[in-house]
Amino acid sequence: MSTELNHPSSACPYSSTVLKSVQKPGRYSGGEYGQIIKDKAAVKARFAFCFPDSYEIGMSNLGMRILYGVLNREEDIWCERVFDPWIDMQEEMKKHDLPLCAHESGDPLTAFDFVGFTLQYEMSYTNVLNMLDLAHIPLRAADRGEDDPIVIGGGPCAYNAEPVADFFDLFNIGEGEEMLTELVRLYIKMKDEGTYSRAAYLHEAAKTVQGAYVPSLYDVTYNDDGTVRAYTPVYDDIPKQVKKRIIKDLDTAYFPDKVVMPYVETVQDRIMLEVYRGCIRGCRFCQAGMVYRPVREKTPAVLNRQAKCLFESTGYEEMSLSSLSISDYTQLDELTDQLLSWTDDHMVSLNLPSLRVDSFTKELMDKISTVRTSSLTFAPEAGTQRLRDVINKNVEEEDLMRAVGVAFEAGKSQVKLYFMNGLPTETDEDVKGIATLAERVIRRFYETPGRPKKAPQVTVSVSCFIPKPFTPFQWEAQDTLEELERKQKFLVSQITDRKIRCNQHDARVCRVEAVLARGDRRLGAALELACREGFKFDSWDEFFDYDRWMSVFERSGIDPAFYANRVWGEDEVLPWDIIDCGVTKAYLKRERARAYAETTTPNCREHCNGCGANSLGGERSCCPNATK
Amino acid sequence: MLPERNQMIRRPKTDYPLLDGFRTVRIKFSKMGSMQYISHLDMQRNIGRVLTRADIPMWYTKGFNPHAKVIFALPLSVGAQSECEYIDLRIERDMPCEEIRDRLNAEMTQEMQVCEAYVPGEKADFSTIAWADYDITIRCGGMDDALPAAVEQFLSTSPVTVEKKSKSGLREIDIVPLIRTLTVALDGASTDALRTLRLHATLSTAGADYLNPEYIIRVLKDRFSLLCGDPKIEEYSIIRRRVLLQDGETEFR
Repeated sequence: MSTELNHPSSACPYSSTVLKSVQKPGRYSGGEYGQIIKDKAAVKARFAFCFPDSYEIGMSNLGMRILYGVLNREEDIWCERVFDPWIDMQEEMKKHDLPLCAHESGDPLTAFDFVGFTLQYEMSYTNVLNMLDLAHIPLRAADRGEDDPIVIGGGPCAYNAEPVADFFDLFNIGEGEEMLTELVRLYIKMKDEGTYSRAAYLHEAAKTVQGAYVPSLYDVTYNDDGTVRAYTPVYDDIPKQVKKRIIKDLDTAYFPDKVVMPYVETVQDRIMLEVYRGCIRGCRFCQAGMVYRPVREKTPAVLNRQAKCLFESTGYEEMSLSSLSISDYTQLDELTDQLLSWTDDHMVSLNLPSLRVDSFTKELMDKISTVRTSSLTFAPEAGTQRLRDVINKNVEEEDLMRAVGVAFEAGKSQVKLYFMNGLPTETDEDVKGIATLAERVIRRFYETPGRPKKAPQVTVSVSCFIPKPFTPFQWEAQDTLEELERKQKFLVSQITDRKIRCNQHDARVCRVEAVLARGDRRLGAALELACREGFKFDSWDEFFDYDRWMSVFERSGIDPAFYANRVWGEDEVLPWDIIDCGVTKAYLKRERARAYAETTTPNCREHCNGCGANSLGGERSCCPNATK
Repeated sequence: MLPERNQMIRRPKTDYPLLDGFRTVRIKFSKMGSMQYISHLDMQRNIGRVLTRADIPMWYTKGFNPHAKVIFALPLSVGAQSECEYIDLRIERDMPCEEIRDRLNAEMTQEMQVCEAYVPGEKADFSTIAWADYDITIRCGGMDDALPAAVEQFLSTSPVTVEKKSKSGLREIDIVPLIRTLTVALDGASTDALRTLRLHATLSTAGADYLNPEYIIRVLKDRFSLLCGDPKIEEYSIIRRRVLLQDGETEFR
């Protein structure tokens, strides 16, 4: 479509006039350094990796960087990137009938063999449907023909993707590095042999690729009270429960040695070094802490080599050590020593997000002092010790006071604290505890000798508890919207010090997220209606409209309270029982009982609590008796 | 095992002896195709990363917050391409200019390539730049043979005002004095659905008198009703070809 005037060597499918009329056209023009271009006539399968949010967010995703490299490592497979165009671009596309295209080739998604979506958060579901719509791909898997791409999904939300099950041909359950290639290989093999048909492929994948969940091959029935009665496989030779995949040895697993370099500034515009997977902690509200088990570490020498390699190939001036709780890495000292032996000389600053207060030391602080920010973030999650014990946060108030003391002594004056309200058993006393804790942090600042000579600032950031599948709190009710909002107002009334700033998440967004998080397939109708009515970017406050969501639920016969505000029965069949994530239901029930007894559970390294994830195996894991 | 990074064989920068202080090296590079959509701010950040990847022995400012100095000659607006962008670097080692050029080119795409790296003359700083040559091309329907003469006439008769954003808010400026030379030609026959109007213009780049070539497009669009058809096929391009000194003829170097 574009002429010789403007795109001498780029494959950008949008004309320059369209690009010049939208904000930040660099998000659509492609041509980044490091993108992978192949001869489309010479490859056997083409994969469109879609991130259902803006370019700036998608380009920051580590999973996408990894899987892009994994697939493109195969000579006969070409993986390209696709992002959700921003609103102004979508309007142009609709006005001029331009389909959604992939970045590298500029080809429409209908030209691909696979269209894969990473499902990172429930509120992006409307973007998934909208992108399918922009790509002119039939929304429902059942309506797709032999020539339509196979639409697959993966990522954390795939552990309960039932609300979007009708729109996907297949889900990847668990880590995709090996599984994704196997799925594409199977496709190529069946095409080569002439045995390929859409139905035959999906059946074969469900049968032979561990972690492949084909929702259409499982019939769901419901009880009169609306709960799930059963999932029944339509074939005898496919698993009754789909077991998640993991990468056993992260040292030998693929990790990208180069990445596509965005010209436009992105959210995580830096090296992201994945240090380990899983988490030893077992916070009872945390889905990531359960579904990414077992813990598997990389060794410092491997990490250092990967970091150096990425630095040389990207030129990034900043590096983030990423994992669920970086200070729980057993060899953090060794790793930071190895990294600092060259990062300082090259002016690369180290960034350690997800620090726990109980492991934040002066020594660690000195190591990351190259970071220019004057702010540090900690996550006590709850305001009182009682409630922190309920959620198994295993953090004492004195840990927090010691950690902020270290930060203040080192010249920091701003601290950000993350909390949640609406946690099970929470009382107004616990909510008030958030304000009290923030006040004590301020007091700690003034008690610090050698504190900075400026006023301290504590930012309290509060989200709402959302019961998530595969957590000990998966059966819990979310507080009603009225109750959440009342608690939010109450918290604001308890904060009197102007040095404390309070940001609270929109409780209405959290409620819709709760509905989707524990949703079943009947929510598909609501999501389809939402798509028809133009819902998009629902994770962005400016586009989220609670009343329209309620209207969509009502018209689709969905009672949001059934999903969000009901205490689910422990004997109930759960929509996500079809998935085996390694952690057993018996363990989750035990943990729930301990929560009500206000009893903490030691972390995996202190004591094995028999969660079941050791059955998945894993190298450099802390599980005793891990299956190798 | 981690795959080895496919690097061109190059000597480590430490092979080159340290200079006494720093040396300024001027880089002339192109910014074509999809690079035209990258803003000046984004370019500055990305050039920094290119310099790191290329392992150029940058000289760092001495002080509390050491940083490499990279100075851009002229801004280039989003939507304009260029064959002649200039930046000045400071290096701390005696690395030959040709090698700097080759190292940089290995770390950039085809749409952004260094054509020359050299040590600038003593009096050749960026403040001597006063004009730039542009090719401005408009491809659309509804253009007749009389158009080139009409465009030349229109753009040489004061005043042609545009609203320009400045620090003190919007102000009206007359662009005619900021156009040093202009030639206009029209390709194709009157029976063609689409024709191409080609403007070759020398525009002011001097400080507050910097004339963004986008303004030329804007006034022509309004005055002659151009580019109002299907945006999928009608388009325009702006390419900066040369950067000139005060006399409007000598190429900056």
